[in-house]
Amino acid sequence: ASKKAASKRGKTAQRGSSNVFSMFEQSQIQEFKEAFGCIDQNRDGVINKSDLKETYGQLGKLNVSDEELESMLAEGKGPINFTVFLTLFGEKLNGTDPEETILAAFKLFDPNATGVVNKDEFKRLLMNQADKFTAEERIMMAQLENGRLSDDTMSVRTLGSQFDEESSFGSDSEINGFTSSRQIDKYGFIGGAQKYSEESAQDVPLEVLRHREVKWLDMLNHWDRWVSKRFKKVRLRCQKGIPPSLRGRAWLYLSGGKVKREQNSGKFEELDSMEGDAKWIDVIERDLHRQFPFHEMFVSRGGHGQQDLFRVLKAYTLYRPDEGYCQAQAPIAAVLLMHMPAEDAFWGLVQICEKYLPGYYSAGLEAIQLDGQILNALLKRVSPPAYRHLEKHKIEPILYMTEWFMCAFSRTLPWASVLRVWDMFLCDGVKIIFRVGLVLLRCMMGTREKLKACPGQYETMELLRALEPRYMQEGFLIHQVLELPISARDVEREHRVQLKRWRKAHGELSYKSPPRMHGAQAIMSAEPHSRQDLRQNPTIVVEYPQPSDTKSESTRIKKRGTIRKAPIPLDVPNPYALSTDPKPDPLNKQAQDTASNNQSSHPPPSLQQSLLTTPEKTSAMKEEPSSDPPTAVIPTPDPSPNLSRTPPPPQTSLVPIPIYPTKLPHSSNPAIAAEPLPITKDSGNTNNSAHLKDSPPTTDSTPLLPDDAPVNGNSSAAPRVPSLRNSCESVGSEDTYL
Amino acid sequence: MEAIWLYQFRLIVIGDSTVGKSCLIRRFTEGRFAQVSDPTVGVDFFSRLVEIEPGKRIKLQIWDTAGQERFRSITRAYYRNSVGGLLLFDITNRRSFQNVHEWLEEARSHVQPHSIVFLLVGHKCDLEPQRQVSRQEAEKLAAAYGMRYVETSARDAINVERAFTELTRDIFELVKSGEITIQEGWEGVKSGFVPNVVHSSEEVTKGDRRCFC
Repeated sequence: ASKKAASKRGKTAQRGSSNVFSMFEQSQIQEFKEAFGCIDQNRDGVINKSDLKETYGQLGKLNVSDEELESMLAEGKGPINFTVFLTLFGEKLNGTDPEETILAAFKLFDPNATGVVNKDEFKRLLMNQADKFTAEERIMMAQLENGRLSDDTMSVRTLGSQFDEESSFGSDSEINGFTSSRQIDKYGFIGGAQKYSEESAQDVPLEVLRHREVKWLDMLNHWDRWVSKRFKKVRLRCQKGIPPSLRGRAWLYLSGGKVKREQNSGKFEELDSMEGDAKWIDVIERDLHRQFPFHEMFVSRGGHGQQDLFRVLKAYTLYRPDEGYCQAQAPIAAVLLMHMPAEDAFWGLVQICEKYLPGYYSAGLEAIQLDGQILNALLKRVSPPAYRHLEKHKIEPILYMTEWFMCAFSRTLPWASVLRVWDMFLCDGVKIIFRVGLVLLRCMMGTREKLKACPGQYETMELLRALEPRYMQEGFLIHQVLELPISARDVEREHRVQLKRWRKAHGELSYKSPPRMHGAQAIMSAEPHSRQDLRQNPTIVVEYPQPSDTKSESTRIKKRGTIRKAPIPLDVPNPYALSTDPKPDPLNKQAQDTASNNQSSHPPPSLQQSLLTTPEKTSAMKEEPSSDPPTAVIPTPDPSPNLSRTPPPPQTSLVPIPIYPTKLPHSSNPAIAAEPLPITKDSGNTNNSAHLKDSPPTTDSTPLLPDDAPVNGNSSAAPRVPSLRNSCESVGSEDTYL
Repeated sequence: MEAIWLYQFRLIVIGDSTVGKSCLIRRFTEGRFAQVSDPTVGVDFFSRLVEIEPGKRIKLQIWDTAGQERFRSITRAYYRNSVGGLLLFDITNRRSFQNVHEWLEEARSHVQPHSIVFLLVGHKCDLEPQRQVSRQEAEKLAAAYGMRYVETSARDAINVERAFTELTRDIFELVKSGEITIQEGWEGVKSGFVPNVVHSSEEVTKGDRRCFC
C-alpha cells in the first residue's frame, strides 16, 4: 500500500525555486513555524533531544528511549533548525491539504456536526464507494476499530495553550547571529519592531473573522461580479479589514495583479531567468538587507525573503528598463512578499507602480513632488492651522511626506495599521494615502497648543517625525481616515490645479506617467479580463495516474458539473458555523444539503474527488519503523488545530472532537490541482489544558499547533492524518474552487 | 527648554547610496550604531549641540539625504540652505570615491549664490582589510578641492566627533572672520542671540490679547 501511496502522491510540481520556503504557502510555513516553536522547548532555534523529550513528556509519553530520539534527530542533516525542519517535512508533506480542507472533509462525514464520525458508516463508505479500499487497507481499518488510531488527538491542543504567548515564535535558521530568544510578533517582526504593541492592534473576534473569511472566499470566487455590481460592499469589507488568511490573495485581486499575471503568464519566469542590468543589480543588492530587517522573513542575509525581494525588484527593472529601480520600491515589494509568492508580488508591484502611484518611482520624482503640493492644498481645507504653520515655517511637503507616500506608510505606521491602510489603499487607491497623511498632520498640528510647542521649522519637523502612537493606532487611525471627506475627485481636481502651477513654475513634466487609477474598480474596468483570468490557480499541483476503473466516476462528476452552471463552492460554507451564524446564502446551503443528502447513499460529492495519501513515514519525527507498511503510522501535523481555534458546534461544545485519522478513497482524477487554503495564523485560542474538556475557545492568538509530535501518548506510533486533496473542489467543471 | 547656543549651522551630508551617511549621523547625534538602517527616502534630519570652545556652543542641524541618484531632484533643494557639508565615500567602495567629483559638482551647481564648506569623509575605516581607496589618494583629492579629509567609522566610533567638530570649527572661524555672514532668508547660519523662545512668547501674548478683545 505504501508503494501505491507513493505513486499516488506522484510528483509534486513546485515553483521554480528549489528553496524549501517556496514549496509552501506562507500560511503553511507559518504553521510549521508554530509547530517548530512548540517542539523547540528551550527556544534556542534548534530541536535537540531534550526538546523532543519534553515535547513527548507534555503529550504524556515519558518513556521514550534515547536511541529513538537520536534516530529521529539523525534524519536531519546536522542540527534541526527551522529550515531543516521545514525541509524534512516539506519533502513529505508538500501537497497535503491545508487543515481547513481536511476539516471541511471531516464535516462531510459528520453532517450533523456531532464532532464524531460514525465508524460503521464511515467504514462502509470507505469500502464501498469511490476508490475502494484494498485488503491491506482494511487492516488499517481494523486498527481503527481497535481504537489504535482513534486516540484522542485533541490532546495536542493542550500544547497550544502553553504557547499562546509565543504562537508565532519560530526561528529562522537563517537568522545569522540572532539568538532567537527574541520574541516574534504575530506579524513576523522580531522584538516588536515596526512599533508593534498589543494595544496598537485591534483583535477581531474569531467568529467574526471566520465569517469574513467565508464572505471573502465568496467574493473572490465571483470577483468580477462583485467588483462591477457590488463594489460598495467590497469596499466596506476592505475597510473592515481583510482577514489575514486571505489578505495576500485579496490584495492581488484588488490591485489587478491577478489579471496581469494571468495575461502575462510566463513573463515573470522569463524576467526571473534573465540577467539584470549591472547598474540596477548593484543598487538593489545594496538594499536587500535593509528592508524590514527585523522581519523574520528578511532578517537573514541572503535568506529566502531577501532572495525573493531581489527577484521581484530585478524583474521589475527588466520589465520597465526605462524606470529601473527606485529605493522606495523595495519596501513596497517587501510588504507584498510578506503576503504572497514572488510572482504575485511582482505583479502587485507592477500594479502599484503603474496604476496606484504612477510616476512615483520614475526618474525626476515629479509625481511625488506634485502629490506633495496636492497634499498641502488639501491640508488647507482639512486643517487650516496646520497648513498655515507649515507655510509659515517654509516646510515643504516633500520634507515630511516623501517617505510616507513613496512607501505607502509601510515604514511609518505600526504594522496593524499598515495592513489596514493597505487594505483600503488597494481597494480605493491613492486617496487613502492622502487621507492618512492628512489625518496625521491634523492630529499632530491641528491645535494652537500643539503648534506653540514647535515654534520653528526644525521643531515642527521633529514633531512630524515623532508621530504620536495614539494617532497611528489602528482603530483610531482607520476611523479617522474613513471619516475624512476627501474623495478621489478631490484629489483629481487638486491634481489639475497643481499640475497647472507646476507647468508654470517648472515647465512641462519631463516624465509622462500613465493616468492614476483610483482603486480596484477603476483598474478592473480599464483592464479587460476574462473570467479565466480571475480563476484561482493552484500553486501546488499534484498529478496522479488515472486508474482505469474509475472513469465512470469522473464522468459522473463532470456531468454534475455541467448541470450546475455555477459550480458550488463547497468550501465556502463555514465548516464551523455556529448555530447563531447568519444563514448561509442559498448556493452554499444547497451545497451543504447536497453534501448531507449524499452522504448516506453515495459518498459526498467532494469526497469523490478527495484524495488521500496512505500513511507513510514522516521523516522528522518517525517512530520505530514498522514492519507492516500500512500500519506504519507516524506522528504528523494534526488537523485539530483549527478546531482548537474555532468555537465548537454548540451540540458538542463540551465534548472533544475526535478525529479519526483514516484513509479515504483514492482520487479517481488524473490530475487534481489544489491550492491550499491559507490558514489564519493570528487567531484562535484555547484555554483548555490537557484534561479539560473542550471549553469553548475564548479569544485569539493561538498557535495552530500543527504538531509534529506524536499525538498518541500510549502507542509508540501516532496516527497519521490522511491528507485530503482538494476535497471540496468540483473537478471537471471549468471553474475551480477558490 | 532650548539650550543656549551661539550659532546654528545647517549641514548637509551627501554621498553615494550605502556609504553610511545615516549611520554616521546617528552615531554622532544618538551615540549608537545600528547594524542595519533603512535606506533614506528623500531627506531626514538630525540635530546636536557641539561645544567648540568652553562655553561656546553651536547647534548643528544635520540634513541626511538619500544617496540614490533618483532622489537628487528632491535632495538638491537642500544645498542652498546649508553652510557646511560632509561628503562621504566608502573606503571599501572605489566607485563611491570616484563619484566624489560628481557630488561636488552637483552641490556647487545648486548652492548658488552661497557656498558650502565641505569636509571629505572616508567612511567605514574599520574595514581596513577591504580598503580600496588609500588614505594618500583621498588626501590628495581633498587637497585638490581645498577640503579637509577625515577617515571615520560609525561602527567603532572613530573620528566621528572629530569630523563634525572640525567642520563646525572651520565654519565658525569663517563666520567670525566675516567671510560667512548671517543673511535674511538663508538658513545656513543663524545667530543664537535671537532665541526662538521669544517668538513663541510673542505668539502667546498675541493670542491672549485676541481672547480678551
